[in-house]
Amino acid sequence: MPISDVPIFSMLRTRMQWHQERQKILAENVANADTPKFQPKDLTPIDFGRQAQPGGGQQLALALTSPAHLASPASAGNFGTSRPLYDVKPAGNAVNLEDQMIKVANNQMDYQAATSLYSRSMGLFKVAMGKK
Amino acid sequence: MDFLKSMQIAASGLRAQTGRMQVIAENVANADSTAQRPGGDPYRRKIPTFRSEVDRALEANTVTMGKVRQDPTDFRTKYEPGHPAADQSGYVKYPNVNSVIEMNDMREAQRSYEANVNVISATRRMIQRTIDLLRA
Repeated sequence: MPISDVPIFSMLRTRMQWHQERQKILAENVANADTPKFQPKDLTPIDFGRQAQPGGGQQLALALTSPAHLASPASAGNFGTSRPLYDVKPAGNAVNLEDQMIKVANNQMDYQAATSLYSRSMGLFKVAMGKK
Repeated sequence: MDFLKSMQIAASGLRAQTGRMQVIAENVANADSTAQRPGGDPYRRKIPTFRSEVDRALEANTVTMGKVRQDPTDFRTKYEPGHPAADQSGYVKYPNVNSVIEMNDMREAQRSYEANVNVISATRRMIQRTIDLLRA
């Protein structure tokens, strides 16, 4: 079993992918902060309950119909986007820069938390192997 | 890697704001540029526009400068009979540039530019954290 299929690692990986995707969407919002008629987007938060279920992290994996088949790696999966509506400027642009900045900072901190957890869990494996 | 895409999107924002700054600088520099011949039209204020564009490689909406449009509002006129650009009745047309509006536009461009720089540095720190995973 590859290390990326250990539940904690696959969950953290999904989490990190989510942050990566969110960073892209936030960058898009900030870049288009002065484009007329632009509506900001955001990702919907990850559902922990679904993640905690066995196999909840990966959606629609290929079925293994023969023992000779290789298992498909956990797929990236798509995250839904939501569009919260804040104040809209006269030009039809609804990006609030302060709001976006807070989201970017939040995203960065949560990503940092996920990577720290990842390296801590890796440390546990190293302890189990008896080599530090 | 998706983080590099975020950086490229933010970079498109930086480019667009730089272009906007250029147009504003042009307006401010030409705030008193009158016509070369008597009774002619002076410098006309330019307006930068932005356009959201789908970048297929990035799978995202980047921003680009659209056409630079001209401000159709009336020129300021001053009574200066001795001026080389004065018409028969002694009036000189000055550009329709309002320095207060230009300064405000400049502040806004600066603010948007800083926001994009902020996104880039946050993304850079996230990439750094990913690389740190290898070191742990």
